[in-house]
Amino acid sequence: MTISYAQPPFAVRADIVAAHQQAWSRLAHPGTWFSGAARLAIAAEVRHAPQCALCLRRKQALSPYGVDGGHDNLGVLPARVVEQIHRIVTDPGRLTRTWFDGVTASGTPDTEYVEIVGVVATVVSIDTFCRALGVLPHALPAPISGEPLRRRPRTAHQRGEAWVPMIHPKDLEGELETPEEQKLATYWGGVLANIRRALSLVPEEAYAWFQLVETQYLPGRWMRDFANEYRAITHAQIELIAGRVSVLNQCFY
Amino acid sequence: MLRESSRAKGESYDLSLLTGTKGDGNIPHGALLVVFAEAVLGDDDRRLQEVQAAIRDQMGDAAFVDAAAIVATFNAIDRVADATGIPIEDGKAASTADVRAALGINAFAEQRGEIADPRERPSVERI
Repeated sequence: MTISYAQPPFAVRADIVAAHQQAWSRLAHPGTWFSGAARLAIAAEVRHAPQCALCLRRKQALSPYGVDGGHDNLGVLPARVVEQIHRIVTDPGRLTRTWFDGVTASGTPDTEYVEIVGVVATVVSIDTFCRALGVLPHALPAPISGEPLRRRPRTAHQRGEAWVPMIHPKDLEGELETPEEQKLATYWGGVLANIRRALSLVPEEAYAWFQLVETQYLPGRWMRDFANEYRAITHAQIELIAGRVSVLNQCFY
Repeated sequence: MLRESSRAKGESYDLSLLTGTKGDGNIPHGALLVVFAEAVLGDDDRRLQEVQAAIRDQMGDAAFVDAAAIVATFNAIDRVADATGIPIEDGKAASTADVRAALGINAFAEQRGEIADPRERPSVERI
């Protein structure tokens, strides 16, 4: 199953098509903590979440934390994982540290949680792109068999910055233990925005997620190059859209 | 970033566009792009189709695709940021304090029980 944008009567940039094909393929392959089948089950639940009656009631409530009940779900994933996926998809702006502490207390390791966030982000992003263009969402691919990597980077630390441990660029100086960390060290370099570090507890997810981001948005070296325009819309138009989306999502970051 | 762009270009963009003020805000097609973002995240499919047609007509197909890619990116970036609890960086906190206060954006952090300005957080280990 490969992604195509051949149907609409306009051209989609080839680099976007390639990035989406790559991201879609990654969904089907074993990740760092989940099999390909589990990653696809997470992806399917992402798509199911907007139809969940409990999520709708919570979204309409003054506080989501006073509304109890069970999620409408596909019946594949544990209830704790369904709760995490549905909340991130349907009401991300009201997630709290207390809610996150409940995630880990419920039995989801921080590593698995970060990979879940990465899968959610990938599916939300590509599905949003399809909706924005007016094309149908892509069918999910078939899972690829194999074992997850199951390797936690020793360079990731909890410094009280975020809810999850993250790698800091300074952690990547010197000799590194894993190819994933070496890839991040090469890719990152220097001081980074926290959004690039957010998924670094699962380095492969952090790297792949930002490959998609840079293709759809702008590579880091172009973001503040205001003397030149690299897209068919200007820096100002790009940042206006980005800012309005973030306000609609009530995202402080 | 919008304000950085504004300063770099020597132009004066109206940042209140971000919180729903009508108009272009001195950004070409600003109002149309805001409505596009709202329509993609909303659930009125007919409205979305109208805006899609308007963008293609007024800005061209390449701009339409790039605008779609930005909505797609930030609809997901927001979820990564909110789900991992990352703070804004110290430098960004300092440079955006006035605009965050003016636009009421600090309320988004406060409703999550977070201190908006990470420089005021007591327990962060700084490198």
